[in-house]
Amino acid sequence: MARETAETSGVLLERSRELAALRESLDVVRETSQGRLLLIGGEAGVGKTALLRRFCEGHGDLARIVWGACDALFTPRPLGPFVDVAQTLGDELEALIDSAARPYDVAKALMRELGAAAPTILVLEDVQRADEATLDVLRLLALRIEPIPLLILVTYRDDELDRIHPLRVVLGELATSQAVHRLKVEPFSPAAVAMLANARGFDGAELYRKTAGNPFFVTEALAVGETEIPDTIRDAVLARAARLSLGARKLIEALAVVPQASEMWLLEALADDGVERLEECLTSGMLRPEDGRVAFRHELARLSVEESLPPNRKVELHRRALAALVTPVTGSPDLARLAHHAEAAGDARAVLRFAPAAAERSASVGAHREAAAQYARALRFADDLGLEGRADLLVRCAHERFITDQFDAAIDALKEALRLYRELNDERRVGEALSTLAQVLGKTGRLGQAEKATREAIAVLEGRGPGRELARAYSTLSQLGMYAADADRTLTSGRRAIEFAERIGDSQTLIHALNNIGSLAAWSWPETSSELERSLELALQGGFEDDAGRAFSNLAELAVCRRNYRSADGYVRAGLDYCSEHGLDLYSGYLLATRAWSELDQGRWTDAASTAAHVLDMTRDSTLRTLTVLRVLATVRARRGDPGAWEPLDDALALASSAPDELQRVAPVAAARAEAAWLEGRIDDVGTETDAAFELALRRRAPWVIGELACWRWRAGIREELPPQTAEPFSLLIHGDWRRAAELWAQIGCPYEAALALSEADDEEPLRRALGECQRLGAEPVAAKVARRLRERGAQVPRGPRATTRENPANLTTRELEVLALVAQGLRNAEIAERLFLSAKTVDHHVSAILRKLGVHTRGEASAEATRLGFAGQDR
Amino acid sequence: MPRYVVERAFPDGLRIPAGDEGAEVCRAVVDRNADEGVTWVHSYVSDDRKRTFCVYDAPTPEAIRKTAASNELPVDRITEVRVLDPYFYMDKRRTE
Ligand SMILES: Nc1ncnc2c1ncn2[C@@H]1O[C@H](COP(=O)(O)OP(=O)(O)O)[C@@H](O)[C@H]1O
Ligand SMILES: [Mg+2]
Repeated sequence: MARETAETSGVLLERSRELAALRESLDVVRETSQGRLLLIGGEAGVGKTALLRRFCEGHGDLARIVWGACDALFTPRPLGPFVDVAQTLGDELEALIDSAARPYDVAKALMRELGAAAPTILVLEDVQRADEATLDVLRLLALRIEPIPLLILVTYRDDELDRIHPLRVVLGELATSQAVHRLKVEPFSPAAVAMLANARGFDGAELYRKTAGNPFFVTEALAVGETEIPDTIRDAVLARAARLSLGARKLIEALAVVPQASEMWLLEALADDGVERLEECLTSGMLRPEDGRVAFRHELARLSVEESLPPNRKVELHRRALAALVTPVTGSPDLARLAHHAEAAGDARAVLRFAPAAAERSASVGAHREAAAQYARALRFADDLGLEGRADLLVRCAHERFITDQFDAAIDALKEALRLYRELNDERRVGEALSTLAQVLGKTGRLGQAEKATREAIAVLEGRGPGRELARAYSTLSQLGMYAADADRTLTSGRRAIEFAERIGDSQTLIHALNNIGSLAAWSWPETSSELERSLELALQGGFEDDAGRAFSNLAELAVCRRNYRSADGYVRAGLDYCSEHGLDLYSGYLLATRAWSELDQGRWTDAASTAAHVLDMTRDSTLRTLTVLRVLATVRARRGDPGAWEPLDDALALASSAPDELQRVAPVAAARAEAAWLEGRIDDVGTETDAAFELALRRRAPWVIGELACWRWRAGIREELPPQTAEPFSLLIHGDWRRAAELWAQIGCPYEAALALSEADDEEPLRRALGECQRLGAEPVAAKVARRLRERGAQVPRGPRATTRENPANLTTRELEVLALVAQGLRNAEIAERLFLSAKTVDHHVSAILRKLGVHTRGEASAEATRLGFAGQDR
Repeated sequence: MPRYVVERAFPDGLRIPAGDEGAEVCRAVVDRNADEGVTWVHSYVSDDRKRTFCVYDAPTPEAIRKTAASNELPVDRITEVRVLDPYFYMDKRRTE
């Protein structure tokens, strides 16, 4: 029976705005030959696919179209959608993906292929369930898309992103990218539903009430054709299936266990001669053909049918799918699909055979989240595996969870593994698991518990003499000392770990210990961080990915702590590339937090707040990075005089109070709270907010922290002796040399600090400069203070410029700011082009636009202007 | 969702064209606000049209600033507010 719905009749309702937006993007790509990525969000069934199909049908003559979809396996296979894409694009890419290539290589090959024939539309569907390797490729494409005439259309279900969804990390990083735009697809309005309903004699209001305007549900409900409108999608889908012949229904049921398009040979294995009924299913509109395969028209329909199957039939079908997929007609067996059907068939032996193997394969391409899920799947079937086998799976699972930011789950798995190793009396393994546990506990601010576990590990292992595990335990102890900025503890344990590690040739522990010692320089007195750089070098050489991720993250943090923003931004960028490439969500989150911090210090408050908000969207745990972004967000609000600063400051304080020994937590929160209190004129609170932190900072001899806290205390009228190591710009200011302090801050690249220093002046000229700077930054409270002081001196006070141009006086675009920053660093156009992945010609254009807007004639003048305006340090 | 009053200054006076064109201007603002989850409830304009007090529902102050930037509107001050209903107090006194 032919189906007459809005879709088959060719009408797409209420989508003209979206189609116009898509068309506009395509035009931009065609006219400028520059790439663009559109993120298209909306609930399941809202019509994302229908929209893109229509758009692509209409524009096939203007662009080449390549389509890839993410499959609905519980644990997706690595690079799933690019398998589809490769079928269109050719052998080279297919071979790459087959050989489990790294996302970086896949992205590179894709860019080459996609850039070859201009322009191309690449559609990636349902990325909310993409594996991490796919997300990495997506991210790399997005960051490098500008010089390629490519329009990427990405759809995702925005109602399915939970807090820790890996897609959020990617969205967070792309948030400030110019090539990325968003489009939201909304459900039908009541009017559209009424129109569809009335045409078929239904009650429009009733249909809208039951469907909330979701187009898929509207379509399904209308397709049933009965006057009673079903209450759920499931009922609507089943009622529709019920009207098929028995054979066709059997076929639909068989196909429902395959979570993506099914190959014909698989369908035959599942449905025997039921395949003859395929034609009927296709014309009914429930199934659709897809590149020689068959799929449900919509995933929601497949789920409805699968859920309705009686358990024994379901198991039987999964068993058949498993058998067929073990020996596929073409290609090699797909481990992720096998593991999926093995679990659904309840076949423990098959799960234990395929799930750990699938995990290893996922981990090898950097899809660690999928790897963790596959290990967890294996563990659900591991009852008969024996203690040792189970403990081994637990430890691997914990590791994958840890580096993908799932701390509590990692801790659970480690504790269980520990229990099993104790039962086995395996001291070596007990010690090892204790150290690992301590590292996870330490990251989440539970320093006391962490230290206890480490000491226990050392006690267990000491009797066995020096070995890998003992070396690792000492290195862990040193790491915990570093968190507390306790140089003595860090160095003593760290050096012992290095000695052991060198004696037994354990390079990973050596790298770990070097990192701890080098990272001390961030918060404590040592002047050198060369051990940290060496740690990175060795980790990269040896291919120790999480150690390299950790080194990038600590190097970036160390650089902002010491207020070296160029270095910080460089490590953030390189680190994000690396961590994303290798699926290290844990460190990506830290790097993004450091980026927010660096943006704050450099006066880029809009960016800082938006980076911070994205990190908070993706995790809100008890780690240092959560504390950092809470503090950054709060500080932006306080400095602008906006409401809502104290809530994040209180949350941050809670995260600091639970770890009173961690200077890296305690000090920044105290400084931020002191600043907010001072801005509100509550100077009496500055002392109480900073007493404990200041005392700790003095004990740890931390130059920058001492300076910052001392400065707030000094502004609040507290007079005290300063130690000689106090960082220079702060001590200059406190000793009355505001002029030199302001110069130093401007050189360092902190325009707000520079303005604060100028505001200490008594003369009109520097006060005016402070005012102008504050108005440019949008720093209302300080601007008001300075304006008051100027008026007291009888000076005329100008109104501030309009808010929209404040952060950016010459109205430069983000791209132009980027180019200007590099010009100011003395780079030539060709070098800038290489850095920013632009053509030399485009850079020429940007540079002439910059000169024009700044009203200067030479690059040198432009650099001077950039420095004066305080964004010479910008370097993204 | 928190409610905010946003104060804006227009030294040259605020002008919204009358008729269809004005409706179009307001619609564009409302559309762009929706991208950030911001709802413009309504505004009060001073007699000389140099100041406005706009009531907004928004997830964060940053969202208000972002939409202000994309709508090219100035922001002088953002204050988080709650409803205070005088009759609520007066009724209460009567019933006590
Ligand atoms: N604008 C529209 N007009 C008419 N029907 C639509 C429209 N959008 C979606 N549909 C119907 O809803 C169904 C679900 O849409 P689909 O694009 O598959 O949703 P999504 O991809 O967002 O999950 C389609 O099969 C189509 O029948
Ligand atoms: Mg879809």
